[in-house]
Amino acid sequence: MYIRVKRNKTTYFIQCDPTEKTLEIKQKLNGLIDQPVNDQRLILVGTGEVLEDSKSLAEQKVENDAVVALTFRKDDNEFEDVNIVRPNDFYQPRDADGANW
Amino acid sequence: MRKEDSVKLISAEGFEFVIHKEAAMVSQIISNMLTSPGSFAETEHREVTFPEISTTILEKICQYFYWSLQYANGKETEFPIEPELTLELIMAANYLDT
Repeated sequence: MYIRVKRNKTTYFIQCDPTEKTLEIKQKLNGLIDQPVNDQRLILVGTGEVLEDSKSLAEQKVENDAVVALTFRKDDNEFEDVNIVRPNDFYQPRDADGANW
Repeated sequence: MRKEDSVKLISAEGFEFVIHKEAAMVSQIISNMLTSPGSFAETEHREVTFPEISTTILEKICQYFYWSLQYANGKETEFPIEPELTLELIMAANYLDT
């Protein structure tokens, strides 16, 4: 399965297994972004639940295609708020940007 | 996942999708861009910008890549497509040779 880890305007598609623990996901993220696992926090977007390092994804009801928010530890040792930017238009008809014809 | 094994796809609105190289290879055109020797700047930076593909569609395409890999591995599930996305998705899939 895979999960979608989101922060600001970036989405990381992470391949994983239901039996994997949150910490293993953080280690995978660490390979992509230079952020130590201790400075990462993952939150399941559907429920707002903070994922615990020692628990498996299945235990925390993180399923295939789930959206998980990523936040980083700030300088003052607190974690930043969840910030996921969405595209403002769900569906934009092709002729909406008429100037491009 | 190592950086070297990932590819970054960028939508028209500048949203970024970091996916596994193997998943990106589902698209013939991305695969060509990433493997052809030296002819694309994309090969080196592992970054591809799609100024004509909206964020919603690009995310759907990434989901399709992963679904496709799972399907190829024998996990036969359905791939859900919202009706309002159909047209734009067909156009993008055609472009991407996916």
